Amino acid sequence: MYRRLLINIYQVRNGLIHTQNTRLPSTKCKERESFAPVIWAPCTARPLGTSSISFSENKESSTSLSEDKEKRPEENEAKEEVNADGQKSTEISNATLTSQLETEPVDKPEDSKQVEKTKSGKESLLELLGAMKVEVTTVRKIRPSKTPRMSERPDQEPMESTHSMFQHATAEGSQQQGTLNPALVAAVSAAASTLPNRHQAESELLKQLRKHEAVPDTQRRADGQNIGHIIADMKVGGRKTNGRSSARPTSQIRFDDDGKGYTQDRGITGELDAVRRRKSPFTSKRLNIFTAGMEQDTLSVLGPTLWDIDLANQIVQATNQAPRNGFEEMIQWTKEGKLWQYPINNEAGLEEEASVPFHEHVFLEKHLDESFPRQGPVRHFMELVITGLAKNHHLTVQQKKEHIDWFRDYFRQKDDVLKEAEA
Amino acid sequence: MASSCSQALRHHVCKSSRLLRVHLQKSWTNRSFEGAVCVSSSFALNSAADQQPAVSSPEEIVIPKKKTWSKEAVLQALASTVKRDPTASDYRFQDDPYLTPKTSSEFKLFSLSQESGRNAAKYFINTYPKYFQKDYAQPHIPCLMPDTLEAQIEEVSEAALIERIGMRKVKAAVDLYDQLLQAGTSVSLDVTNQLLDLICFYGDHDPAQENVPEQRNEETEDVQDEPQAKKGRAAKASDLLKATWKEKNNAERIFALLSEPNTHSYSALIRGMVKYGAYSKAFSTYTDLLNSRLKADVHTFNALITAAPEVKEKYNEKWELIVDLLKQMAEQKVKPNLLTLNAVLKALRRCGTVGKSQAFPVISEMKALSIDLSLASYSHLLAIFYKPGAPIQGQTDILQEVMNEVSGKSFTPQDPDDAQFFITAMRICLDTKDMEQAYRVHELLGVGENWRLLGNDFQQNIYYARFFSLLCMMENIDVMLKWYRDLVPSVYYPSSNVMRDLLQALDTDNRLDLIPQIWKDIKQLGHANRQNLVEELLTLMAREKHNQEVQESFAECALDIKKIYDTGDRGKVLLNWTAGSLSDLISVLLAAHRRQDAWDMLKLFKTHNRVPSEELLNKFLMCVKEDGDVNQAVELVQISAGFCLPGTPKLIQRVQQEFELTEQQRKMLSDLEIQSFNSE
Repeated sequence: MYRRLLINIYQVRNGLIHTQNTRLPSTKCKERESFAPVIWAPCTARPLGTSSISFSENKESSTSLSEDKEKRPEENEAKEEVNADGQKSTEISNATLTSQLETEPVDKPEDSKQVEKTKSGKESLLELLGAMKVEVTTVRKIRPSKTPRMSERPDQEPMESTHSMFQHATAEGSQQQGTLNPALVAAVSAAASTLPNRHQAESELLKQLRKHEAVPDTQRRADGQNIGHIIADMKVGGRKTNGRSSARPTSQIRFDDDGKGYTQDRGITGELDAVRRRKSPFTSKRLNIFTAGMEQDTLSVLGPTLWDIDLANQIVQATNQAPRNGFEEMIQWTKEGKLWQYPINNEAGLEEEASVPFHEHVFLEKHLDESFPRQGPVRHFMELVITGLAKNHHLTVQQKKEHIDWFRDYFRQKDDVLKEAEA
Repeated sequence: MASSCSQALRHHVCKSSRLLRVHLQKSWTNRSFEGAVCVSSSFALNSAADQQPAVSSPEEIVIPKKKTWSKEAVLQALASTVKRDPTASDYRFQDDPYLTPKTSSEFKLFSLSQESGRNAAKYFINTYPKYFQKDYAQPHIPCLMPDTLEAQIEEVSEAALIERIGMRKVKAAVDLYDQLLQAGTSVSLDVTNQLLDLICFYGDHDPAQENVPEQRNEETEDVQDEPQAKKGRAAKASDLLKATWKEKNNAERIFALLSEPNTHSYSALIRGMVKYGAYSKAFSTYTDLLNSRLKADVHTFNALITAAPEVKEKYNEKWELIVDLLKQMAEQKVKPNLLTLNAVLKALRRCGTVGKSQAFPVISEMKALSIDLSLASYSHLLAIFYKPGAPIQGQTDILQEVMNEVSGKSFTPQDPDDAQFFITAMRICLDTKDMEQAYRVHELLGVGENWRLLGNDFQQNIYYARFFSLLCMMENIDVMLKWYRDLVPSVYYPSSNVMRDLLQALDTDNRLDLIPQIWKDIKQLGHANRQNLVEELLTLMAREKHNQEVQESFAECALDIKKIYDTGDRGKVLLNWTAGSLSDLISVLLAAHRRQDAWDMLKLFKTHNRVPSEELLNKFLMCVKEDGDVNQAVELVQISAGFCLPGTPKLIQRVQQEFELTEQQRKMLSDLEIQSFNSE
């Protein structure tokens, strides 16, 4: 699982790098910088990648400050989480991303720690991280003028160069200062001001940023050719490993101790071969007698015929209907009508009233119109009666009507008395 | 795998967060990342990623539809929490521990008596309804009240005819119909069609019993369940043979009286003809239908497709007829259904090689019409490719393909043949010795309601017997025993043959020390009286030397077996001693140093007129020598001499050399020596 996860991360990362490098801008670009028109393909296939992008994106939209320095810990975190817990990779990484956001200033020390780690030999790990960071930074800074270069150096090993570029960047830090976006620098200093060791943090952050700035150019060039591999990757998902080892994409890094940390990439032809080989007979060609959208002539349907009943009966006979436990026996009894039904909502036992809408219960005025006086004490009394009835949930509508009818009869009988009183 | 899983996750998250998001976007923009928002905003994050374009437009709140639950929903939820208990017997028998079946015959007996008790009660209620009129139930429970079996409407009217059709009284309905016609009353076409349905369905005979057909079927099934299942089947088959479609029967007569028969009338007639074996007649009726410019319905076509293999000889002709019928369906705009597919596949089973080439195109065709295959379809498919008894060459992948298609799916019964799938699939697994697929088949059985499709007890037994035989053959002993403990005896009562397979599996994996346990099971399963099985068990125990502990348990087991031989069942002798079984038993006892028991056994040779082998006596002598019992050694020689064994002189020699004999014993031995010499 761990390995597969790493593979997954790899693929995600590759996909992202490729995305930028080949100038297939992500949605991010679309929204933010309105880049050239686009095919936003690889990223959609990669949940991890997508989430990380969108994350930065959201942040971008909310604050345009201090972006890059946050990005780093986030992604470190995300990756670690992913490694630790495979299944929930997307979710967890996102969760951590958010938590990172909340505690961003605190994470700065860890940032520098990461840098140290790099130098202490876990190079491959940082390369990975760096690569992941790359896209985040570059996407917003990608310059149109660089695009034609993407196919220039096909044979370069990107990760190698990445690493060398790291050192390069560190050495030439001051020289490259100018390439950084002023807004970015401002953001860095703002973020660094929250830390105890202000200047050191700031310079480290800037250094890191420049690295990222430097890396993508080379990567972009090298990875442009590998689009075919990406496509193969996407299709493949997590299938078995029967690819061509010779054609391993250059963007793959060997980072596991035993060197088997990932499945080798397959060329697209190998993939097609595999598909052809395990072509299921269930997908063989059809007879082509019927047309799919055929409308059936509706015959007069008279309900189930004897044959239908018999078919159902045969099916019941053929299958095992014996209950396996007490509950199943109760289900059987329920179906046979022998058992009281378990309530499944709060309308249990509403059989006779089920078809009566509520207004029949509540608006009873219509029953008063015919034979009661339009005004006077009787009317007043009857209005009180129907108000009471409207609130009574124990009686059915029929019973309520009967109740009113009883009063109607009563007042009719006492008609003369009433007249006398009124008169 | 990881990518696919994260993909699935994304779907889920996307779905569940749709509502959350609207609420959360506010918090996003305000950058209020409080701890409470932390987890939920991760959802928003992810969904924003997935549906980037949607975020910009105001999100619509989708109100979920009202979920209507079936009235059994609560019980179903509860039932799903109950897992099978491998130590318990079937639920049917849990009322009374005394009636827990231990053998397959007990299982059959108990389950059938439960069924027949129900039927008897039903019979009495229906026969004497006047005694069962009091309705205690509140609210009224219709199924507990007696069915009305007598016609209530006496007068000659259409209503009376409908009533008789409803009660499935074929003869009475036909009579009434005739009376109605004679009286000059016209009967509506619908009612006449119903009458035709009734007559054709029962082949112009009254249903076998007065009861409703469900009960009738149950009873025929009961017959089938009896130990000689084949006999039951034969009886059923002969029933069908007896009831054939007769020339000019009532159905045809009434049909001829119809001035304008419609599709339904033709359909009833054709289906009846196919059901009762008048296949060519069905086809000619179909031609009549076409001539009267009517369209057939899907049931008619299904019946005709079923009949197609019967009217043609050659495989090609059969197939051409089926294709022709399908084409006519398409012409008449009749949409085929699942039963059409199954009928075609079933017909293809009888089309030899044509079946193999055409089965998959047929399935693709039906899939294109969005007909989902049922287990019966797969069962027919398997039967097309794997003929029972035929050699298997390179067809194993078909089963694999089928399993790829079906695994993990829950099927609902849609065709009476659905119940054949598991048996067929397991048969093929057994034939091809494909353990992996067998596990997949068994796994499929556990999905959803699929267990219902395993069929009745008889079929279950076949299925488990096949599965278990395969396990015995292919699996290592520990896995096999795990399954054994799981299946036996809660769902499966192995036959004596399967127990022999089990013993052989124990033998191949060198776990003979488990034999005493298995013997206990054998006794409980009621196979202790199977001579073959018991003798095999003894042979296995006697064959090799084991450590002391095992030998001791073997000896106990052997004495237990001896008891079975001795007592028999109610005075009847179940097992007969053979020379082999006696000597095996004695060697087991000797190996455990139970000389006295063995000595008693040795005497049984004489009483049962069996002759011990020299080898056994030599073994015995070795044992006697270890204990230095001179008297017994001499007696042994005497026994040997008594049987006039050719090896007696050698035995005498050994005794003379290896034992310190008294004078008298020496004399006796030399006498015996002379005797045996003379006899030679």
